[in-house]
Amino acid sequence: MTRLDVVLACGAVLAVLATARLLTERDLVRAVIALNIASGGVMMVLIAIASRAELADPVPQAMVLTGIVITAAVTGLALALIRRIEAEPHDEAGPGRQDDEP
Amino acid sequence: MMMAATAFDLVLVLALLASAGLALFLPRRSTAAVMFCVFGVLLATLWARMAAPDVALAEAILGAGVTGALLIDAVTAHPKAPDGSPAVRRRTHWLAIATLAAVIAVGIAAATLALPDSAPGLAEAVEERLGSSGVDHPVTAVLLNFRGYDTLLEVALLAIAALAVLSLAPGGEMPVAAEALDVPAPLDALTRLIVPVVVLFAGWLLVAGSTRPGGAFQSGVLLAGAMILLALTGRPALPPGSWLRLALVAGVGSYLALSGLTASGGRGLLVLDEEWAGFAILALETVLTASIAVALAGVFVASSRSSRLTAREAPR
Repeated sequence: MTRLDVVLACGAVLAVLATARLLTERDLVRAVIALNIASGGVMMVLIAIASRAELADPVPQAMVLTGIVITAAVTGLALALIRRIEAEPHDEAGPGRQDDEP
Repeated sequence: MMMAATAFDLVLVLALLASAGLALFLPRRSTAAVMFCVFGVLLATLWARMAAPDVALAEAILGAGVTGALLIDAVTAHPKAPDGSPAVRRRTHWLAIATLAAVIAVGIAAATLALPDSAPGLAEAVEERLGSSGVDHPVTAVLLNFRGYDTLLEVALLAIAALAVLSLAPGGEMPVAAEALDVPAPLDALTRLIVPVVVLFAGWLLVAGSTRPGGAFQSGVLLAGAMILLALTGRPALPPGSWLRLALVAGVGSYLALSGLTASGGRGLLVLDEEWAGFAILALETVLTASIAVALAGVFVASSRSSRLTAREAPR
């Protein structure tokens, strides 16, 4: 069993497991965590495929790098949205409270 | 590369599966957030093991650093999930989902394991054209020259996400640090020591990206981590008011300017001529570093409900 095999199998399992969890999880923050883990699994498959060459294939690595940064930004946006979704009405100044401003 | 799986590899993969399983299946939010940080660090180690040092750098800083900070901040603000019964109630549903997941996982694993163990991919094609790309490092060349269009879209997405989070800030105002802040002394001392070193290291990473693992993204996210640390200890972390918005759009703006210049006056959209490719890439990377750092740090500060930050009129 080569390192490649092990990582590929692990990546596939993680991606599917985390996606299944993402679809069945009620708690939004844990759903975001499941999304991050699922993307980690997919990235494992991509990097494993990239590492097959003598000199590691830079194109999938660049794609994974892009994906990591995007996932972090989108996680931030998702958590901000979740904060608004879960906020009690009196906690946050929502749009309805600014009706005395122009 | 046909390297046999050493004990280290096996332990690493098992640890990854274990931390992911704990993060996914233990009921408390805080456990999930912390286990995800562990998962991030282990994943960075795996990337280093798989000959992907650029990805390892970015994952180490983002996975446990920025994303970890965002998650821990979120679970501190809301430690308990809102009450709700589990989405899937019956045993039969669990079984159906588990079976389907197992089938798909086995399918993906079988398909990827059937790939040949050694294939050049695009590495040779990139090597051939590396000399005329303006940099000496393949991943940097791919990111900022050969697949520059993807990076343009990525930077645009970062700017949009940051602007969206800013518009969601509680009360519509950007939290800025309160004057008198109760920061633990060790954290304060650590910040004073670390932030100057991190800034220096980020500057080095930016320039080093031309010849070795590094570049705009690693440098930018490292700076974002330093800025988050500043924000947590009550120091000004972000440029004020309109400078903030300027910094956010400067990255995508300059990238669009480069695209316009090359499309209209040059040889084609984002085709960098050999003479000035190196200079263009470094200049672009500098602007991108600032933009990425401000975007990610802004996302954290704008959504942070930490008691250290209070909403106050942001300076216009």
